[in-house]
Amino acid sequence: MAEAIWEVSAAGAVPIRAEAEVVRNVSEGPSSWRLVLRVPSWPGFRPGQFAMLSAGAQQAARRTDPLLPRPMAVYRAETGVDGAEVEILYKIAGRGTALLAEALPGQRVAIVGPLGRAFPPPRSGERVIIVAGGTGIASVYELAARLAGAHPVEILFGARTASDLMALEDFEALKIPLQVATEDGSAGVRGLVTDLLESALEASAPGSGRRIYVCGPTAMMRRCADIAAENEVPCIAALENAMACGFGVCLGCAAPLREGGYALVCRDGPAFDAASIDWERLP
Amino acid sequence: MKQSQAVDTTVDLGGISLRNPVLTASGTFGYGTEFAPFLDLRRIGGFVAKSLTLEPRVGNPPPRIAEAPSGMLNAISLENVGVEAFISEKLPAIPEGVTVIASAFETDIDRYAEVCKRLTGVPRIAGLEINASCPHVKSGGIEFGQDPAVLGQLVRTARQATSLPLLVKLSPNVTHIGEMARVCEGEGASGISLINAVQALEVDPETRRPLLANGLGGLSGPAIRPIALRMVWQASQAVSIPICGIGGIGSAADAVKFLLCGATAVQVGTSNYLQPSIAADVADGLVAYAERHGIPRIRDLVGALEFPGR
Repeated sequence: MAEAIWEVSAAGAVPIRAEAEVVRNVSEGPSSWRLVLRVPSWPGFRPGQFAMLSAGAQQAARRTDPLLPRPMAVYRAETGVDGAEVEILYKIAGRGTALLAEALPGQRVAIVGPLGRAFPPPRSGERVIIVAGGTGIASVYELAARLAGAHPVEILFGARTASDLMALEDFEALKIPLQVATEDGSAGVRGLVTDLLESALEASAPGSGRRIYVCGPTAMMRRCADIAAENEVPCIAALENAMACGFGVCLGCAAPLREGGYALVCRDGPAFDAASIDWERLP
Repeated sequence: MKQSQAVDTTVDLGGISLRNPVLTASGTFGYGTEFAPFLDLRRIGGFVAKSLTLEPRVGNPPPRIAEAPSGMLNAISLENVGVEAFISEKLPAIPEGVTVIASAFETDIDRYAEVCKRLTGVPRIAGLEINASCPHVKSGGIEFGQDPAVLGQLVRTARQATSLPLLVKLSPNVTHIGEMARVCEGEGASGISLINAVQALEVDPETRRPLLANGLGGLSGPAIRPIALRMVWQASQAVSIPICGIGGIGSAADAVKFLLCGATAVQVGTSNYLQPSIAADVADGLVAYAERHGIPRIRDLVGALEFPGR
């Protein structure tokens, strides 16, 4: 098990850029994929950090379409004697991820990472509720793994339908309480994961403090931010805006702030205090 | 750049001495330090920093970027830290030995001149590039670089405001690029940089709305490269001041094309996002190209295009 508490600072580990070798790239359901990349070196990562991935860029015919790399949460990583293996969970959602799904073992995928500001760790004794929607689950595995055993922690996982639930077995292996909600009722309770959050907050006493971490669709994160504010519980949201570079240069991933102006999801996030985001103006 | 006794990579870009002709384009390279984890900035000829205004500037609402075939649209609106913060905070963080070209941008000519003056005499700044692709408020939002008279006034004013080598970054959104290039040369520009992003629109058919919150954006990336090559070539036929070629450069072969079309140097732009060490690879690849072709000086390639019927 990785160390339980991690440092959060703007100056994290220096990211790498590599032509990673595809070790494994397998479908786990109708549109869920698990990709394992081998990189020659890896500086480690903190929960919530991401990497930029470009599939097919190193083929003989240099690919320019789709042009931009795709930001993907680092699901987990394992350092060995000759480099490291970095694991990514994704769904085919468009042209970039469709191309990624075609990458065969032995082929190369360009990676830049780890990038971004991690989830801040909970305070000592805080009860943690992790809320994930759809592919947002990929952003919170490392968080859950590092907190398991060190903090009281539970996971609420929502999706449209049972086949959209990714990596359930990994979370079950962490042996932390897990509740599932699907919109069509095909797994877990029928309804929204935000309903589970309201119930979880009702059921738990404020005690020595509670903290919510959330990653998922914008509407779902916004609702979680509202619920957290109503209950006066701190809430950290991992945003997933489109971006071109991932390291603070293109300025494409701007997230509007309630105090005015913008933060960059790649540099100032992806983890933000949910109360600092102007959800109304976030597309 | 690789050690090479055979190939002379140096170029003179309108009074800016470059160790090799590969620069990075303003707006795609931040303030330089963002790329420190990925490449040694001394491997490239230099970089053009993000365009600066007198005051810090906040950008457009999101979405600010969208993908296009082999390209991307952006409408950032030139968000930047402002000229003072650049001088006091950003510039000192850039390693010694890196050639820095500052970029100026404003919405009226007097303010342009102020930015140029403020950047003049600052140690470490080797040259100035003025961005002529922004909307001119007094002309009703038309770009400075779209009206020869306004462009001429801008270049004249900037030329008077600074003693630094002065590059003018031209808008591609014009009918006769050669005419605009001649205006710059006539008003004393040291060189011209082209092309800036091509004005473009991308649409979501489901929502019936533009993909960008701003509506229009600028198209960049490999999609615009043939347009850029054509405009660099046309400009090179019109003027004798040096040209810095920009537009979808992602390899040494791409850079060679621009040199052949008359560019003295090139700027790598959007490709920096995809592969943050690409500019150094382009510089290395130019040496390999010159060695392969037995060319002693990279600058011998400038304008060596064998155009039919000429």
